[in-house]
Amino acid sequence: MPAASRDVVQGTVDMLVLKALSLAPMHGWGITQRIGQITDGVLQVNPGSLYPALERLEDQGWIAAEWGTTENNRRAKYFHLTAAGRRQLGQETASWRRLSAAIETMLRTT
Amino acid sequence: MGLALIVRRRMRALFRRTAVEQELDDMLRLHFDLDAKSLERDGVPPAEARRIVAARNGGIEPVKESVRDARGTRPIEELARDFRYAFRTLAAAPVFTVAVVATLAIGIGATTAVFSVVDGVLLRALQYPNADRIVVIWETDRNSGTTREAGSLADYFDYAASAHAFATIAGFKQSTPTLVTDDATQVNAAAVTHEMFDVLGVRPTYGRAFTAAEDEPGAAGVAVLTDRFWRARFGGNPSIVGRTLRLDDSLYTVVGVLPPGVRQPSEKTDLWIAARFVKAGATRSNHSVGMLGRLRSGVTLDAAQRETDALARRLETDYPRDNTARGVHLEGLDDALVGNVRRSLATLFAGVALVLLIACTNAVNLLFARHAARTHEVAVRLALGASRRRLAQQFAVEGFVVSVAGAALGLLLAALALHVLPSIAPANLPRRDDIVLSLPVFGFALVVCLAIAAAFGLLPVVQHRGAAVLDAMQTRGTAGSHGHQRLRRMLIVGEVAVALVLAAAASLVLRSFDNVLAVDLGFNAGHLFEAHYTLPQSRYPQDYSKFPAGWTQMLSYQRDLETGVRALTGVRSAAIAATDPLDPGFTNGFVIVGREAEAQRGQAELSTRPVSASYFETVGVPLLRGRLFTDRDDASTSLVIVINQAAATKYFGGRDPIGQRISFWGQAREIVGVVGNERFGGLTTDAPPAMYPPIMQAPMSTATLLVRTTADARDVPARIREVMRHVDPLVAPFGARMVNDAVEDAMSPQRFIASLLGGFATIALLLALVGIHGVISYNVVQRQREIGIRVALGATRGSVIRAVLGQALGLAAIGIAIGAVGALAAGRLLSSQLFGVGPGDPIALGAAVASVVAIAFIGGAWPARRATAVSPMVALRGD
Repeated sequence: MPAASRDVVQGTVDMLVLKALSLAPMHGWGITQRIGQITDGVLQVNPGSLYPALERLEDQGWIAAEWGTTENNRRAKYFHLTAAGRRQLGQETASWRRLSAAIETMLRTT
Repeated sequence: MGLALIVRRRMRALFRRTAVEQELDDMLRLHFDLDAKSLERDGVPPAEARRIVAARNGGIEPVKESVRDARGTRPIEELARDFRYAFRTLAAAPVFTVAVVATLAIGIGATTAVFSVVDGVLLRALQYPNADRIVVIWETDRNSGTTREAGSLADYFDYAASAHAFATIAGFKQSTPTLVTDDATQVNAAAVTHEMFDVLGVRPTYGRAFTAAEDEPGAAGVAVLTDRFWRARFGGNPSIVGRTLRLDDSLYTVVGVLPPGVRQPSEKTDLWIAARFVKAGATRSNHSVGMLGRLRSGVTLDAAQRETDALARRLETDYPRDNTARGVHLEGLDDALVGNVRRSLATLFAGVALVLLIACTNAVNLLFARHAARTHEVAVRLALGASRRRLAQQFAVEGFVVSVAGAALGLLLAALALHVLPSIAPANLPRRDDIVLSLPVFGFALVVCLAIAAAFGLLPVVQHRGAAVLDAMQTRGTAGSHGHQRLRRMLIVGEVAVALVLAAAASLVLRSFDNVLAVDLGFNAGHLFEAHYTLPQSRYPQDYSKFPAGWTQMLSYQRDLETGVRALTGVRSAAIAATDPLDPGFTNGFVIVGREAEAQRGQAELSTRPVSASYFETVGVPLLRGRLFTDRDDASTSLVIVINQAAATKYFGGRDPIGQRISFWGQAREIVGVVGNERFGGLTTDAPPAMYPPIMQAPMSTATLLVRTTADARDVPARIREVMRHVDPLVAPFGARMVNDAVEDAMSPQRFIASLLGGFATIALLLALVGIHGVISYNVVQRQREIGIRVALGATRGSVIRAVLGQALGLAAIGIAIGAVGALAAGRLLSSQLFGVGPGDPIALGAAVASVVAIAFIGGAWPARRATAVSPMVALRGD
């Protein structure tokens, strides 16, 4: 599978990031790793999409960040979900489910 | 919640930029390092791991860029960068920057200053409610051609009672009584009917208006003060209301103070007193009652004019003796106040608009030159992927910086000019106090700036379309802009044309002013002092049944004053006259005895100028025929009169007027002499026909003392005042000044126009010089190589100079051809303001053309010299 096709569609990145952060606060690299692990490497978020997305989400107030240190003692910015972010994730999940169910139905039609 | 958060984050991104960037760097470095580490754990060598990570993630810098984009502060950061860049590049090209800023400053400054004057005097509405309904009602006289004369008292009563077009009509009569306090001073009073408050729609700030009862004949005197007089004379103390003032020998209770801005009937008015006009036996022959009316709402000036025309015709039929040939002329108050200066201010405004046009053309031209030099830069940057929008913004910022600097400096210049202008503005310019730098003007200047900034930004980007980019890169900015060059030449042609129009207008006006200066006044104004006085009726009774012999008090005042002043050292001669030699004074109907039929058919009135015997010697009017009257021609001897040359020519043609008799005021007077013409009708008006009765045979309650002093008699005015105090301590002189100053004042409108238009023309020519110089020298630089080749092939210095100069003069020639048409048109528009010069005056136009040719020559000579300095080797190697 060529790497390019595994790149996540623009727009769904926000939802994936929110979902990843709903599990635990983490830094940017951690988010890409977690998405990769959970989807078994099918979905990969590259830094060029991730960091602008984090910037936008912070603007929206859906995530917040504070500086901490990694286990190797390096400065890292840890993001966590806010209450508003949790509500947003709920809405996005619901609408994604509706959409994918609809597409599934369409595709199953013979 | 959202907005506050975003603002906080944007502020931090803008003002803690280093910290934010450092955080971004830390964050991304960690990401890339961790990525590489995880590859190393899978056994990839460190160097290889780094390469793979960089390839996969596309490098740290592009990621940073996309985060910065998402941050939303990019437009602001770019703008800040553009400003820094603009300041840097402008500072690097100081000649260009100074030229553009100065050009704009001059254009905007001159326009703003002149527009502020126009705004203050012409455009700002009168401060009365519904001021457009306030109308001056003038009487006219078809015999003399007068169209703006005060009405008679009886006519006033008739119009006030019958003109339905008006909601109300007020009458007023101006006088100059003496205000007697500890000292005696002359004040400008207006006896107004109580309707005046309603006509103007004003109510006193303190106290109250006149009541109808206070305006009845026999009522006790009441007065209201104008705001200016109240502040100047009574320190703005409201307790003046209720106090009593003595004017001459009558007492007036102050009942109110008018609001500021009330300047009716005249700018000089100090106070209003209730008129208390007597209707019974009101005269129709004496025209001294001004009329001001307020139109009913919905009634037009034309409709009102039709109605009053009909009324005037009825009065003509009813009172043929006094009202034959009398009509009515209605004029909006605003027109009446500024009508006479409107034309000259419009001229100035047109002139300054042309200056702005040239200034803008010049600015655009300079910008063009700069862009031409940058063609290469723009092309390269576009080729490297810079967006057109970014480039346009960057140039627009540069244009904005230049034009804002120009506008700021221009407003400063305008403020300075407005500081100076009122002191050189003509004395007849109304509402001079209203002239302030106006806000609309500031807005106007800003619009000009923004337009220039936009032009600056769009031009270079629009120019480079598609294939042109490659072209421009190859030509390294030295050529490849032929369309560009043609446009610049057209701008120069336009500039020259406009400059010619201004130069022609200015030389016409200057020549006209020269003629005004050279006018023979008909009298000698040097070392001539004048002061006016008014004798109160109470102590100087005027009994028309025993005129003039019965007017003893007035006659003896005149004699005592003249004798007293004449006795002063430093006084060469002294005279008393009804009016000074610059005052048109009053006119009278008259009959030449034996030619009554002519008078019956209707003839213009004669200017009537009672003077004392020493008047002609004092003022310097020559005797042409017969004799002057002497001090022995007084109330006890037979009545005599002297006429001027104009009257002799008009009414006696070739015949000798001496010995003929003129009858007016019910008495026949024998003509004993003919004197030269004085230009009392205005400097640029031929002397009207006039007659001079001896003032001892025609005493005047308001008169002028004229004194010819020796060269070094500076204390004479003070001593004259001493004499007047001695003759009657309660009669105060007013309007005391040297007649020469009055002559200067009379010339000031022409001087004002001439000096401003002259200044505009000078600016226009200088700007055109800058423009021509800029275009030609740019052209020389462009053609350096060509010139070098020519010189290498044996062209002489002379032929190079001729080629360059020829180009400058060629542009000027086209500009002059176009401008000549405009100059002739401008001359025609100006013609009513010219004196002794035709609109197509060849000398004036020739001077204008010569000055334009001269600047084209200078503008071309400079670069031409540089062209000859081109060394063929350097020029050829130039690329």
